[in-house]
Amino acid sequence: MSIAPVEQQSLELAEETDLDQPWITLVWNDPVNLMSYVTYVFQSYFGYSREKSERLMLDVHQKGRAVVSTGSREKMEHDTEALQAYGLWATFQKDE
Amino acid sequence: MAKAFKRKGDRFVARLDSLEREVVAGLLEQTRDFLAPAPRAETGDPFDDLVASMEMPSFQEATDPRLEGPRDPALERLLPPAHREDEAVAAEFRRLTEQGLRERKTATLTTAVDALRDADGDKVVLSAAQAQALVVALTDVRLLLGERLGLRTDDDAEELAQRLDDADQDDPATLLAAYYDFMTWLQESLTQSLMS
Repeated sequence: MSIAPVEQQSLELAEETDLDQPWITLVWNDPVNLMSYVTYVFQSYFGYSREKSERLMLDVHQKGRAVVSTGSREKMEHDTEALQAYGLWATFQKDE
Repeated sequence: MAKAFKRKGDRFVARLDSLEREVVAGLLEQTRDFLAPAPRAETGDPFDDLVASMEMPSFQEATDPRLEGPRDPALERLLPPAHREDEAVAAEFRRLTEQGLRERKTATLTTAVDALRDADGDKVVLSAAQAQALVVALTDVRLLLGERLGLRTDDDAEELAQRLDDADQDDPATLLAAYYDFMTWLQESLTQSLMS
């Protein structure tokens, strides 16, 4: 994302994940999407609070990626498609 | 001189002169053309047409040449692989979602273009729905421009502003960078307004 200092990248997952929900949706850092816009999308699409959305956005920016949702594979595919419609770099995978 | 978006009640208001509106609308249209889904050819056969209208991806794939061969890197960024390790899963996701995503993005870009073209004079007044469409549409414009400008890392994005400062005015890349900068400024103000 643009507008912010450059940080060391690490690929640790920031969000704890539920063992009963084995699939996750990830959003990856990119140089184009604005920090404000990424926060806006997390608020608008997921209905997350401003605080949670900003924390996830900072994880994306500083760690290179963040887990933004967990659940069934079908739900994660749906979230990935929706986030790609917003222009975010979203992927889904089995939680490991 | 452009004035950034501000929220006024349930409206989102900016000031853009005719040239500025034309630049933004033109970039939105170019991005829409780039993303437009392949038209579904009517075959004349009622069954085939029905199948096509149901978006049976296997049929579509066979008839859409844009799904074959190397893809434009900008397309990879606008419609990225949805799985990082498993190419088969990513290919299946693309087969199922690409047409729909192209249609959604194209519709959003059209809403944004219409909103700008509807402007009465330099004052651009958007409804919430129009503002939401424009902020998403500007993302796709910036992703496309960013790819053409070679932005791959956060460092690249930061260097862009510097490059603009000491740019060669005759270099076509300078114009592209200036457009990118303008779109960024506009999107930031609209995003802040939507969140306020």
